[in-house]
Amino acid sequence: MSITIQIPAALRPQADGQASLQLEGGTVREALGELKSRYPELGGRLFKSDNEVNRFINFYLNDEDIRFLDSLETKLKSGDELAIVPAIAGG
Amino acid sequence: MTTLTADHSTDRYHRQMLLPFVGEAGQAKLLKSTALVVGCGALGTVIVNMLARAGVGRLVVVDRDFVELSNLQRQVLFDEDDVNGLVPKAEAARAKIARINSQVQVIPLIQDLNHTNIEQVALEGDYGPVDIIIDGVDNFETRFIVNDTAVKHGIPYIYGGAVGTVGMCYAVLPHTPAGDKPWEIAGRATPCLRCIFEQAPPPGMNPTCDTAGVLGPVVSIVSNYESIEAMKVLLGRYESVNPNLVSVDCWENQLRQLKVGRAYDVGECTCCKKRNFEWLDGVYSSSTTTLCGRDAVQLTLAPGESKLNLVQIADRLKAHGQVKLNPFMLQATVSDNAEAFELTLFKDGRAIVKGTKQPTRARAVYAKFIGS
Repeated sequence: MSITIQIPAALRPQADGQASLQLEGGTVREALGELKSRYPELGGRLFKSDNEVNRFINFYLNDEDIRFLDSLETKLKSGDELAIVPAIAGG
Repeated sequence: MTTLTADHSTDRYHRQMLLPFVGEAGQAKLLKSTALVVGCGALGTVIVNMLARAGVGRLVVVDRDFVELSNLQRQVLFDEDDVNGLVPKAEAARAKIARINSQVQVIPLIQDLNHTNIEQVALEGDYGPVDIIIDGVDNFETRFIVNDTAVKHGIPYIYGGAVGTVGMCYAVLPHTPAGDKPWEIAGRATPCLRCIFEQAPPPGMNPTCDTAGVLGPVVSIVSNYESIEAMKVLLGRYESVNPNLVSVDCWENQLRQLKVGRAYDVGECTCCKKRNFEWLDGVYSSSTTTLCGRDAVQLTLAPGESKLNLVQIADRLKAHGQVKLNPFMLQATVSDNAEAFELTLFKDGRAIVKGTKQPTRARAVYAKFIGS
């Protein structure tokens, strides 16, 4: 499945400056795994361990929080959009 | 001859009272409302400006900092006189709003808002319990303390955050055990901030205004979004409050409405579901804070310690470098091991040590020149 991943401004330096990119993956976990293998430094910012993502970063599939779908096992279909959304602290 | 005065509320608020959901009754509600604005920097100045002009009757404005030149690019209530006078931000906001709308009252609190004092400020001030808390904060520790307070006491809370060209806004209309708040009766309660972000980003993991910079219009967009959500809440128009987490990237031309509504029902939130107020209970509290946007650390002494005698300290520090003193604070340039620091002391014992991001270094400088 080809999906679009939206990279937040804070993490674009770890993704060659791209705001979004196309990836293949059947589940959110597979897509993020693919992202991690392409951009290991970015992966390091997202994942706390091999299996767990950091809890101050959220992932929204077509604007729905994946924690309330099937989390990392949420299935993807072609054309889906996965947004990485970290908490914004400044003010 | 009669003198024209600006105190006819129908004239002043006419343009917003034309809107059917404001009208005379809505305007009366705004004028009777008390809002707590936490932080009076980039977000906070816009919020205070908008709500004061809209006639929100009392604005309790808490800020621990003073106005600096680098603030003027985006902090709309301040000017060069405030910079030259080292005026605390909350006081500068009060003075400016007094010239804009003398019908409303700004209550400036020049202090750090933390887990030891937030309930007193939100519930027990002379101004009575606040109707809403609005976020002009620059760190997640304070936000989670605010969120805990809002949920524990059933006070609406508007979150906003901005950095670089991106920002977020979200309205917490908290669930309460009795379920009898007007927004709950209207079926419009929302998940709390910790339902959405379970943990605070650790220092260094997230960009700050310090590392990433920030554009003025971005903070204005986010804080105005916060202001309109606050007005909806104060007007009792809960059905119009946005239930989504709004996320905006002004450079990439993206505006997202992230759906978070199921977080309360499906999630197991420590705060609003289990009613375990860890941040307010001080489980994660720290007495040092690295300040957003500045090469500086804030030190907070344990509550209960006596107020500092700034005049006496100023006399002592004159031997070490330049000292400036006003009724609110003292600022001194000192040098330690050939490094220069700017030391700012507030009457309540708080200090901001500029010239380092290291809490231990800041503590050492404080101990050397002020005492431990």
